[in-house]
Amino acid sequence: MNGGLRIALPAGALFEDACRLLVAAGVAEIDPARLDRQLSLVTRLATVVKVRPTDVPVYVEMGACDAGIVGKDILWESPRDCYELVDLRFGACRLVLAAPEGSPLTRGSFPRSLRAATKYPVAARRYFDSVGLAVELIKLHGSVELAPAMGLADCVVDITATGRTLTANHLVEVAEAGRSTARLISNQASLKTRSGAVNQLAAALRRTVTDGEVSSGSPPSAGRGRSAP
Amino acid sequence: MSALQSPARGRAGGFADWVGAAAQRRRAVTEAFVDTFASWGYEYLATPLVEPLETVAAGVGGGLQTQLFRFMDADGSLLALVGERTVSVARVVATQLQGSPSPLRLCYAGPVLFNRAPLGGRRREAMQAGCELIGHPGLAADAECIAVAAAALERAGIAGVQIDVGHADFVPSLLDSANLDAASRARVAAALHQRDLVAVEEALRGTEAGDAERELLLAFPTLRGGREILDTAGARITGPRPRRVLADLAELWTVLDRHGITASVHLDLGAVRDWDYYTGPTFELFSADLGWPLGTGGRYDRLLEAFGAGAPATGFVLHVDRCCDALLRGTGENGGASVLRLGYAPEQAREAVVVASRLRGAGLAVALDLEASVQRPGELLGDGRAHLDGGGLRWRLRDREGGGLDALLAACVEDAR
Repeated sequence: MNGGLRIALPAGALFEDACRLLVAAGVAEIDPARLDRQLSLVTRLATVVKVRPTDVPVYVEMGACDAGIVGKDILWESPRDCYELVDLRFGACRLVLAAPEGSPLTRGSFPRSLRAATKYPVAARRYFDSVGLAVELIKLHGSVELAPAMGLADCVVDITATGRTLTANHLVEVAEAGRSTARLISNQASLKTRSGAVNQLAAALRRTVTDGEVSSGSPPSAGRGRSAP
Repeated sequence: MSALQSPARGRAGGFADWVGAAAQRRRAVTEAFVDTFASWGYEYLATPLVEPLETVAAGVGGGLQTQLFRFMDADGSLLALVGERTVSVARVVATQLQGSPSPLRLCYAGPVLFNRAPLGGRRREAMQAGCELIGHPGLAADAECIAVAAAALERAGIAGVQIDVGHADFVPSLLDSANLDAASRARVAAALHQRDLVAVEEALRGTEAGDAERELLLAFPTLRGGREILDTAGARITGPRPRRVLADLAELWTVLDRHGITASVHLDLGAVRDWDYYTGPTFELFSADLGWPLGTGGRYDRLLEAFGAGAPATGFVLHVDRCCDALLRGTGENGGASVLRLGYAPEQAREAVVVASRLRGAGLAVALDLEASVQRPGELLGDGRAHLDGGGLRWRLRDREGGGLDALLAACVEDAR
């Protein structure tokens, strides 16, 4: 294929770090501002497209892209037939169970019936099952932190990078339900039919994130994690 | 008011109509597959679309069991629409074909169904064609299946197929010889099944796994190549079980070489398939034009035991619809079937029937007009049309139809005189 591998990048919080990583690894010369405008970019080494984070695994599973960069949190919710090749270490965030200040949950006491609001029903279900709690999940699409204040739910299961959004909404972390970082994923056939290129990409990114850690003591991302509003 | 409700004009999500060139291609690919199977001596059989749930559940793919269309029979027992057809063939072998001379070569083609969420881009009905070679435990049988699958894809016109050959026991034997405690082994195995190499690495961290095994398990996607990879891996492995797997693959390679197909074969030591189902060599077929395997296969020596008639068995399935996608992407060709539409003057109505019949006998598809028509001399015929009148037969072919048809039609006119 001309233009090398087709790589899907997630728009949003991980986008700039993903671009920086590809540049640092020598995979593709990408100007994020330019990709911002035109959604796809054909370089000498790779064709890069920018899509919604939740759409990255779709593009990769269906073979429209050979590889993609996406947060582990996205993979929790929509398991797809892709290979997860490398932990890229940037975009670190945690999935936490949080309850309003003063809630019995913050003292480790869990009522028999509990309602939890979340954007991550699959990961939340897995967490509650693992600790043996029967919880009614309410799937929301945004502003999950509002749900306890308005009486919609007793607690939330949500992603946090800094904890600032939780604090601003008078929520207290009760437990950690998962950890997420950006991952390199690949299409199952691409790993076989373009194995040289895919393995090279994986090796280059792995080397870059490891070196970054060795030299600076932190992942090669300046703006680590998601920006809290 | 009619008591009948008007039918819905939409389709159920995840299902497709096959119309025109796409329908032709799907039928042609299916036929090319089944014809190839037949030419290798595989006998065609047809099994039901519905089986008892426990029968279907005995088949490959534990993950697929949650994706079956299930319903209840009149007596309350559970039924399912088949999600693959090997298990049905095994049922027939264990019952009606019990005692047949060994080995049995059987083939099938038919739809399979999955009750997965629509809109994910994955179809819920798929056409599958496959072979089962039952009663022979040797690598010659495994090699034959790989060769038949490759021949079938070639006959259907799918070029540049890559065959990845692995072994169901390689990774498990590596795990067993890696000195892992049961919990770590289960975590690594689960991560491998989920194709999550990050989790494999995490699960191996802090375990007692030996360096060679750890390195091989981590190098998993790169454990591919030609015959030489067996020596590379062999130099690093000491356990008798993984070494036996490498020896098996070396012998399999030799037989595949006799079939003349090693040029498109990759040995893939990291292939992870359903270990509970497969027991020996496994393989997957890929095209550079498609993000899914075109077909999969392998040895499954335990399945027939489940039906009380234990016998070694190996086989494969080809995904017809994916093959059609690969064909379309590879060539971009979208040609429909050529049908000659034959018109005639009122006086030639009887003769037209004879001409149409003769042309059909010569292998041409002919649609005879239902009403006579008059063509003025010199009037241009439409593409793919022929007309018969007192002056004889005139025709006009589509550009892409070559001189062969012209000659055929000329011969037919000559015959009629």
